[in-house]
Amino acid sequence: MSEAATAREITITRVFDAPRELVWQAWTDPEHLARWWGPAGRTTPADSVTVDLRPGGTFRLSSIGDERGDDMVTLGTFREVVEPERLVVEEAAEDSWHDGAVSEVTLVELEDGRTEMRFRATIHTSDEMIGIAETGITSAFDRLGEVVAR
Amino acid sequence: MTTDELSTTFAALADPTRRAILARLSQGEATVNELAEPFPITLQAVSKHVKVLERAGLIARGRSAQMRPSRLQGTQLKHAAEWLAEYREFWDDRFDRLDDHLRDIQRGPST
Repeated sequence: MSEAATAREITITRVFDAPRELVWQAWTDPEHLARWWGPAGRTTPADSVTVDLRPGGTFRLSSIGDERGDDMVTLGTFREVVEPERLVVEEAAEDSWHDGAVSEVTLVELEDGRTEMRFRATIHTSDEMIGIAETGITSAFDRLGEVVAR
Repeated sequence: MTTDELSTTFAALADPTRRAILARLSQGEATVNELAEPFPITLQAVSKHVKVLERAGLIARGRSAQMRPSRLQGTQLKHAAEWLAEYREFWDDRFDRLDDHLRDIQRGPST
């Protein structure tokens, strides 16, 4: 990681009406992953999913564009695997807009049998990129606001 | 916007010449000839940059066969500026599908 890199973070908490064991399976079983990973407009063939479920093991998945047929590959390495409650995956930075992204998934059993999922993604990206994305655009292009409004 | 599209947008924005082209276009549409004027590079090179920007959805080009002036497309730039929110939305949508999936498999006979 270069010095001029900044980490940004998002957290999402969801409660699923399903036992923790099943949510864990949905996250770690290729057949399950193929059915929800997406994103919209893309299909993940189950046989494209590789899950080597152990710390240091790799995670690979193809999302094929429904229209263009282009292959968008997600490639990651498991940093933590604690069945059935915690999963940490680091996404590779190659060919990506970020300098590495880490996703942490924590599954908590609720008393009523449902499962709370706490998700945190930390995205490392260069300050230059953030500058371009967040301020560079608007400050460099004085009239952009006008253009966008048109 | 998917992270795939974010990659394409950021890759297009990462080049200083392309950012300069966008800055020029923020003042109004321009042809490739006009865009090339301030740069010590060939018309062909500028044309390539314009194509990259067009593919990333950052600019659009006119229909007129000879001139084909380029103009800024604000939406994609706005998406890039709000990339963190876009990224959150990307995961939120994904978890909506996970929720649906968990419901589906518990409803019917297990597959």
